[in-house]
Amino acid sequence: MKKSILNRRQFIQILALTSASWPLISHAEKIAHLQTLGQQANLVYKNLSDPWLSIAEVQEHLFPANEAVPTTQSPGAKDIYALRFLRNMLDAPDTDTEEKEFIIKGVGWLNDLSFKIHQKRFIYLNTTEKETVLRKTEDSRAGSRWLNLILTYLIEALLSDPVYGGNKDKKGWQWLEHIAGFPTPTTEQVYFKLTDRSHNITRRRTKA
Amino acid sequence: MSKDYDVCVIGSGAGAGPIISELSKQGKSVLVLEKGPWLTEKDFTKDEMACCRRSVYTPKLEDEQHVLEEQNNDGNWSSEATSESGWDFWNGNVVGGSSNFMSGYFYRIKPKDFRLLSEFGPIKGANIVDWPISYEDMEPYFTKAETEIGISGKIVAHKHQEPRSTKDFPYPPTLEHPVVNKIDKACNELNLTSLPTPRAILSRPKQKRNSCEYSGYCGSYGCHSGAKGSARAALLDDAVATGHCEIRTRSKVYKLKSDNKGKVVEALYYDTQNKSQSVSAKIFVVACHAIETSRLLLASNGPKHPHGLGNNYSQLGKNLLFSAGGSGTGEFHYSEMDKLTASNMKTRGPFVNRGLQDWYYFNDKKFGGQTKGGIIDFLLRHPNPISKAMSVKWNDEGNLNWGHNLKHDLKSVFTESQDLRFEVFNDWLPTDNCFVSLDTNVKDKWGSAVAKVRLGYHEHDLKIGEFLSTKAKNVLRQMGAKNIRSNISGSPPANLVAGGCRFGNDIKTSVLDADCKVHDVENLYITDGSFMPTGGSVPYTWTIYANSFRVADIIKNRV
Repeated sequence: MKKSILNRRQFIQILALTSASWPLISHAEKIAHLQTLGQQANLVYKNLSDPWLSIAEVQEHLFPANEAVPTTQSPGAKDIYALRFLRNMLDAPDTDTEEKEFIIKGVGWLNDLSFKIHQKRFIYLNTTEKETVLRKTEDSRAGSRWLNLILTYLIEALLSDPVYGGNKDKKGWQWLEHIAGFPTPTTEQVYFKLTDRSHNITRRRTKA
Repeated sequence: MSKDYDVCVIGSGAGAGPIISELSKQGKSVLVLEKGPWLTEKDFTKDEMACCRRSVYTPKLEDEQHVLEEQNNDGNWSSEATSESGWDFWNGNVVGGSSNFMSGYFYRIKPKDFRLLSEFGPIKGANIVDWPISYEDMEPYFTKAETEIGISGKIVAHKHQEPRSTKDFPYPPTLEHPVVNKIDKACNELNLTSLPTPRAILSRPKQKRNSCEYSGYCGSYGCHSGAKGSARAALLDDAVATGHCEIRTRSKVYKLKSDNKGKVVEALYYDTQNKSQSVSAKIFVVACHAIETSRLLLASNGPKHPHGLGNNYSQLGKNLLFSAGGSGTGEFHYSEMDKLTASNMKTRGPFVNRGLQDWYYFNDKKFGGQTKGGIIDFLLRHPNPISKAMSVKWNDEGNLNWGHNLKHDLKSVFTESQDLRFEVFNDWLPTDNCFVSLDTNVKDKWGSAVAKVRLGYHEHDLKIGEFLSTKAKNVLRQMGAKNIRSNISGSPPANLVAGGCRFGNDIKTSVLDADCKVHDVENLYITDGSFMPTGGSVPYTWTIYANSFRVADIIKNRV
């Protein structure tokens, strides 16, 4: 569990050490892809370009449909709209700008590695090749941090209230037989509208 | 000279609520300065993102933080700012404070807790003292809190039952989860007394507050029905309705200004626009969380108090307390149950109100005879799904878990078993290595020094914690639980903190007098958990409420 905690100072060090070697994605391109909470569902996976295209592929590899229990339908990253959730969260007020940039820059790093090993961009790799590249990515500290973030947002997409854009049609909750509490939040009660500021919690230890 | 208000209260949580409520009801003009926003029942939903994934109710760590100091293996202390480590030490910075988000496990501390030193003797390295008041002084206020806050429960006779002036709780127990039958049976077989846990949760409506809706999500969540006995729901709404109480939100007090006699004359605070403002009052009450209360007083130097208000004998911030102990878990696999039992075990909503007090005091040669122990509470694993899923994000080899394996593990952790947990509460002994000071480097967004907290603990705490944990695991084993494990450590739970301004009769060894007034400041009272010189072996909230009602009676006679 210790590994999941990477403090802010280390994070910034990683960013400083690795960013120089990453292909840059223009600010305009980033802005163009940021979406709002009310985005049309059927557009989530249409006409994607990088960084979102690669991220969608990574998400689907990390969380594929129908693999866990062959006899039961189980949702994959695309079924739960993991990408829409991620984009909404990165676009949410007060999401750490450095974290946002790190996620986007990581796509360039991933494709570099993919090209180095298989002479192809990540999206053109088969499942085995993708696994090789992602495990290789995990070997580096920055890569592990990047994958950890992608996976964390993916798990949040699977199990947060659908109001945030993931957990499409409550598929995550249904698959895991989860009984949600009540009342659930409306679009006016999402966390970033409750107060004028919020931020990611890294660690908190409490007793009941 | 005329004052703006009779009483100015800094903070609005459990330690502040009774003061605010009692004095407003008496017609005194009361101003409350609260750092956070005012959220109400309509803002609280069962949204894990708001409650527990993003910090909505607490400050952004880059804006306001702590510096935490921990001991390395080589014995040296090293400190790290929480914005660096990510270890969030805030609880609830909103109107009503962290009482909005508590689970509401409510226990009275017991008569011997008021005289720990006399009853059990000194422990080397621990600053144990007796309290300057007795259980008998506090009892009427424990009782008052039962009705005012709305505490539900049922008295069952047992060997450590504290004396009560009333026969039973004003509200019957909340509905109970079917697993309590298994707990009761196992305890009975082990000759233990399984006790219903009192909760600050309404089982019946109380005036405008509804009774519990049993959504199954309580601890860490703000209450939608008003059943949870937060200071806001139980006390502040009525206080405001008197017309004598004003709650000024997003008002961050940074200094109490004192005069040549050492009397507090003004509270200086930053308003919503971050502009400095001041307010005067006859009496000031500080109750803004144990660590922050010490911080504010340390920052409030004046002509008679050059090192901070109440710090002329270097006692301020010292003897900080957390809750010692830890927790454990056992699994009950549905595949080993018949369908009906499995269905019962999957129930979501009612509470597991069961605890053990058999070892609140015990006699054991290994511990040198009569020993102070603690309590064990049973509870289901928190139903928060994201947090549950995060527990399988890493595999046993320390690599990220994904693909088929992740999905398999998720399915398993969510659908194959019900986890019954226990929590151990024992005394966090006061020591010279657990205290609050002002950090010399790190400032908050307004430029004030943040609190630096040394987080030392006494080894004795771990021994008692392990002793109790072993007893709790015996119960889980008797129930047939699988994969039983526990974790007792000196890592402090940030939501259970007290001390720092201990009360006592001697100004040289305490910050407050028996009335919770700062010894050498005639108009400054401290009513959050800061006053506690020892913590008892229970969550602190009921004691904080009771003491605040007690001090309210004292202040009533002064203004």
